Amino acid sequence: MADLLSHVLIAYALGTVAGWRLEWLSRRWVAVAMVGAVLPDLNRIGLLVSDPTVEAALGTPFAFDAIPTLGGVIVLAGIGATGFETHRTRAYGLLLAGGLSHLLFDATKHYADGEAGTWLFPLSWTRHPTPNLYVSSEPAVLLVALSIAACVWAVDRRWVEEPS
Amino acid sequence: MDRRRRLALGIVLSLALLGLCIHYGAAYDDAWPHPTGDQLAAHGSEYDGERVLLFGDVQTVAGNRIAIHVTDDGGDVAADLEVRGVDTAGLEPGGVVQIYGTLEFEETRTHDGTVLADEVVVVNASPRAGAYKYVASGLGGLFAAGFFLRYWRIDIRQLRFVPRGDADSEVSERG
Repeated sequence: MADLLSHVLIAYALGTVAGWRLEWLSRRWVAVAMVGAVLPDLNRIGLLVSDPTVEAALGTPFAFDAIPTLGGVIVLAGIGATGFETHRTRAYGLLLAGGLSHLLFDATKHYADGEAGTWLFPLSWTRHPTPNLYVSSEPAVLLVALSIAACVWAVDRRWVEEPS
Repeated sequence: MDRRRRLALGIVLSLALLGLCIHYGAAYDDAWPHPTGDQLAAHGSEYDGERVLLFGDVQTVAGNRIAIHVTDDGGDVAADLEVRGVDTAGLEPGGVVQIYGTLEFEETRTHDGTVLADEVVVVNASPRAGAYKYVASGLGGLFAAGFFLRYWRIDIRQLRFVPRGDADSEVSERG
């Protein structure tokens, strides 16, 4: 993963720009997409409770790394959407979109053997070729994400009126 | 949908997520084309002579050689390997690397084996780079939560998110 701040900023930028065309996509809903971008990183629970600890408790194999995958995000977005009483499809779509933007961005990061991680699970264990764009600890990643988000924020604030 | 039905759906989906995690954990070692830490610890010699991709914690750096620890799922050391042919500029003990190269799983006095590196990716050059990533990620979580809570309130009792202010008229600019 890139650092999570970059992911959230990119979701903000994508959501805000999409909102220029889609009238219903207000900041309130962009916020939902930003939370969606956090979903794949929920596997960090594993830093507190390790896989073997859960395996011992369940008596089966277990890996939190199923979370930053297609299947993990599709299901987690569903869990998040159950918290919405209305507009549930919209909430689901935005959580999913935020999560997918995270996964797609991560799919371009650098692997020493040139193939990305197994994020297509459970559809496939295939590792597609990655363009090897970056590693997560590069501050340049965050700088680019910050610059993009700042530009979008400035344009949005200056030229785009939210209905009031 | 009322609270009870949403709760039921949430439980069903949580079980589905649990199923995914179990499936992933059960299938990963066979599906991943390279030896995992668990596999190296159990029967590392089976991978002798193979080209492998390994993730390692840097222990020592000397010239163009480094020593790495490959860990198992529990974080314990699965293999202590010497890696040769590494551009070590900027690399410090406590960093994290990906190594793609040929594994010679033959125990020496100091290591469990050697990797002749073809390609090295420095994931974290030092513990500081790792710390930077965690701090930036923590800020990301806070930023997303803060942004969300500006427009939504969490109603724990009803297990729902409630729009703040008037949901129809969009939110004002005030912080």
